[in-house]
Amino acid sequence: MAGDGLLKDPKWRLYLLGALLFLWCGAIGLRLVQLQIIHYGDWLQRAQRQQQRTIPVSPRRGIIYDRNGHELAMSISVDSVFAVPSEIPDPANTASLLARVLRSDPRDMVTRLKGSHSFVWIARKVDAETSQRIRGMNLRGIYFQKEPKRFYPKRELAAQTIGYVGLDDEGLGGIEHAFDARLRGTPGKMLITMDARRKWFGRVERQPDPGENVVLTIDEKIQYIVEKELEQAMHDSRAEAGMVIVQNPRTGEILALANRPTFNANIYKDAPQAALKNRAVSDIFEPGSVFKVVTYSSAVEEKLIKPEDPIDCQGGVIAVGGIRIHDLHKMGVVAIADAVAHSSDVAAVKVGMRVGEQRLYNYIRGFGFGQQTGIELPGETRGMTKPVNRWSKVSIGAISIGQEIGVTPLQLASMMSTVANDGVYTPSRIVAGVLPPRKTPQTVTFQRPQQRRVISTMTAAQMRRMLEGVVLFGTGRRAILDGYTSAGKTGTAQKIDPNTGTYSRSKYVATFAGFSPVNNPALTIVVSLDSPIGLHQGGQVSAPVFTRIAQQVLAYLNVPHDAEVKNDKRLQLRASVKDDELNEDSTDRIGGGLQAAPNAAPDPQPKSAPVIAAPSAPAKVVAAALTARSSALPSGPAPALDERLGGGTIVLDVGGGVVVPSFAGKTLRSAIEAAQDAGLEMEAVGSGVAREQSPPAGTRVANGARVSVRFSR
Amino acid sequence: MKRYVTFGDFDWVLLGFVLAICAAGMVEIYSATAGTKFAGAHMRQVYWVVGGVLVMFVVSRINYHVLLDQVPWMYVAAVTSLVAVRLVGEKYLGARRWIKIGGGIHIQPSEWVKLILILAAAKYFADARQRECTVGDLVKVGMMIGVPMLLVLAQPDLGTALTYIPIALMALFLGGLRLKHAAVILLLAALMAPVAWHVLKPYQRERLTSFMEPEADYHGSGYQVIQSLIAVGSGGIWGKGTGHGTQIQGSFLPVPQTDFIFAALAEEHGFVGALGVLLLYFMVLMRLIHNAQTAPDRSGTFVVMGVVAVLTFHILVNVGMVVGFMPVTGIPLPLMSYGGSSVLFTFLALGIVMNIRMRRFVN
Repeated sequence: MAGDGLLKDPKWRLYLLGALLFLWCGAIGLRLVQLQIIHYGDWLQRAQRQQQRTIPVSPRRGIIYDRNGHELAMSISVDSVFAVPSEIPDPANTASLLARVLRSDPRDMVTRLKGSHSFVWIARKVDAETSQRIRGMNLRGIYFQKEPKRFYPKRELAAQTIGYVGLDDEGLGGIEHAFDARLRGTPGKMLITMDARRKWFGRVERQPDPGENVVLTIDEKIQYIVEKELEQAMHDSRAEAGMVIVQNPRTGEILALANRPTFNANIYKDAPQAALKNRAVSDIFEPGSVFKVVTYSSAVEEKLIKPEDPIDCQGGVIAVGGIRIHDLHKMGVVAIADAVAHSSDVAAVKVGMRVGEQRLYNYIRGFGFGQQTGIELPGETRGMTKPVNRWSKVSIGAISIGQEIGVTPLQLASMMSTVANDGVYTPSRIVAGVLPPRKTPQTVTFQRPQQRRVISTMTAAQMRRMLEGVVLFGTGRRAILDGYTSAGKTGTAQKIDPNTGTYSRSKYVATFAGFSPVNNPALTIVVSLDSPIGLHQGGQVSAPVFTRIAQQVLAYLNVPHDAEVKNDKRLQLRASVKDDELNEDSTDRIGGGLQAAPNAAPDPQPKSAPVIAAPSAPAKVVAAALTARSSALPSGPAPALDERLGGGTIVLDVGGGVVVPSFAGKTLRSAIEAAQDAGLEMEAVGSGVAREQSPPAGTRVANGARVSVRFSR
Repeated sequence: MKRYVTFGDFDWVLLGFVLAICAAGMVEIYSATAGTKFAGAHMRQVYWVVGGVLVMFVVSRINYHVLLDQVPWMYVAAVTSLVAVRLVGEKYLGARRWIKIGGGIHIQPSEWVKLILILAAAKYFADARQRECTVGDLVKVGMMIGVPMLLVLAQPDLGTALTYIPIALMALFLGGLRLKHAAVILLLAALMAPVAWHVLKPYQRERLTSFMEPEADYHGSGYQVIQSLIAVGSGGIWGKGTGHGTQIQGSFLPVPQTDFIFAALAEEHGFVGALGVLLLYFMVLMRLIHNAQTAPDRSGTFVVMGVVAVLTFHILVNVGMVVGFMPVTGIPLPLMSYGGSSVLFTFLALGIVMNIRMRRFVN
């Protein structure tokens, strides 16, 4: 074998080795050609990609203002801590230091710091003290990034309405959720690049666009009054939950909306689920007697009754569909107005039957029940109204007195406002407008939503008078105001026990819905207390809340008095009323409630009582009171009222321009952060620390202006 | 005819090539460590190289025959030191490779064992009378190299253990290994491969396979391979310039001053730089082979070729690893990688080569 022979010579073996070596070098050389010349572009791209990180820069979330430009929700700049693990000399030590300050698991921290990533969040949106402590430790490879954090300066104030946000500023409730897309803004991009000295620095690639600002119709002062009084009422009545709505009946603007239990939106995570709920729009309950407003309004509108017509309350007993209803006040033949004032169920049932099923249903829909009001709050429910073909024999009676129907507190407010607003239904609104994120004075024009007439002006006036009667000598006497006339209707409805599905014998929803002043209403107020302990009638526990709120808010709004101030007679009337006198009769159940109506046997039509014109004594009181008020009523709405509640224009002055900060001595990264904070764009020249800037610090420039900063070492 | 050994016969050309490679290494060590906790490593490397050159001159004055005569006890000492590491060695990063000898100095005996094995193999074949390698020779040389290799493998230090194999192969090849026997060895190796695979630790297996499909385990064992390829590829023809290699500066490439120094070179000095250094290595090896051919006797040839075998193996495996031809084994690049043991071993070996060269006309 020639090869074997050749290889026997050691010299040949050496040559062979040399040749192999040459081949290997050639192979490596070819590989280098492949890597460095042919695919150079691909590898270079990969190298650049891993030297850069694009991190989104959170935009400043829009501000939520009240109608006077007070911030209800705003964003402040706080530190977030991140690490560049490759720069950390001793991850274990760094991790234990950080874990101690942040009170987190050191092991978890070590794994994060040992990762091969070039960027890792350590803690998002830490408070100033924590941030200061971490800065103080002066750790290598640990950096800070300013991030906007949502802040609710008024804490619990209107918490369910304003809502709250999650860690990434995503709106999770209330207006924050409903207007998330507009409040959010567009995130910017920050390109983090590593330079040849192993320093990471960020350059804002695209400035974040701040979100739009939302202006609510809420008035912070009124909201405060409402929150305070509701808190007091919760304490006094020991109710499980409570809710108050204050509305401008003319425009549908919600001036205040409070819920109990409530929460502090800054720390919403600690809040129980029940506290996050906005009961005004998401709670369905049987309104009880308050709903008689619909029954009587439709009857008056259809010209079936007049307030002074007599009605036979039949000694307080009526049978509907085989079920007997009892009135607590056993009245005989009285005026319709009296029957309303004392909340006679018998009278309401009879009136309802006279209206008839289809017509009553039409009015129910007309007043907005069974439909969303369209308020700008998430989670609004339509309530529960059954179409006529699903009514049982009993339904007409039940619905006439506010049973077998589910409504939201806001729908009740709309109903009252419709009566107050001369019979014109105005959808409720809580957002006055959305403003672009400019820091200059701006105006918001509140667009009154599409209105519709439900009842005639005449009917509305007659209803107002009857409802004033409720306050003056009926179940709503605790709602008599000092210096103002007021009207309203009480309601007490049994709750459905969630355990048994039947009506509770001990839990009630006590409601008072009213407005003031009677002839030129400035406010509609609905107070609803859920399961008060002890006194539980709407007239007993909810009417006083109405009184306290109305009194303060009317004064705050400079609404002109339409009744004598410190009128002893009126105040006497309020003070002298006893709890027993305010009882109403919705404790008798008829019908099957919301879920299912039992099939009741048909029953003979109730006897239509002969009409006997015999005005009872209280009616005279009404007349007297009406006269007294008429003399005190000034003509036309007061300008002060128009100014505050006109619902026209809301002017916001939130300051103009930005003051240029001093960048002197700052590193590129912190200069960029400072510029971003101030809402300025920065143009960097050179590297090192900032030495010169133009325009100089302290100059007032337009928002988003460009500042040039020169860096040198 | 008797001539004295003079420095006129010293291989200055070889030394020139060697120092050029060292210089390139120092530049990269500087670039890779500036601003890190290893900063200043390039100066330490300078001291090591200066020390190495001194050692080389000293060793070149020692007659290699004297060294060969001392082989038996040196071999015993080598094996003893490896056993000692096993018993009293310092454990660092999960492996027992170092012996602490006080004063903050740790020695890694497995490096020096290489040199002793080269001498031992040379001594064995120089003493052998016949030109053909018998089965008995095969077994004896296999045992001679195999025992220390297993000890190193147990540390565990797969990379260094593998460097003992080329010493045995080179000695057998030059010692007249017959093709028949070579085929049998290959067959045995092929049969042993599954067994060896089973013995390897999981991380070692991962390293051995990840170079073939580095993307499969991007964040794990494939990470270094990919980062190395990115470094080399993004260097382009001319490189990014000293201190501007983003891969090494950004610490994407872990400890680029040691095992991945060739990647650092390729990134900062491009195709031209990498090919230049590769050429220098080729010249060094060819020069060494030339010295082997001109060696005064059979033992001299064997010693020089032993050195060539070890250096070649290091270069092949290290550069192969950097360009993705070979698995990541932790074998440094001689003369360039940062580290005293590696530098001193190389210069010591070169010193012996120099001595052999200077004696080519002696006797």
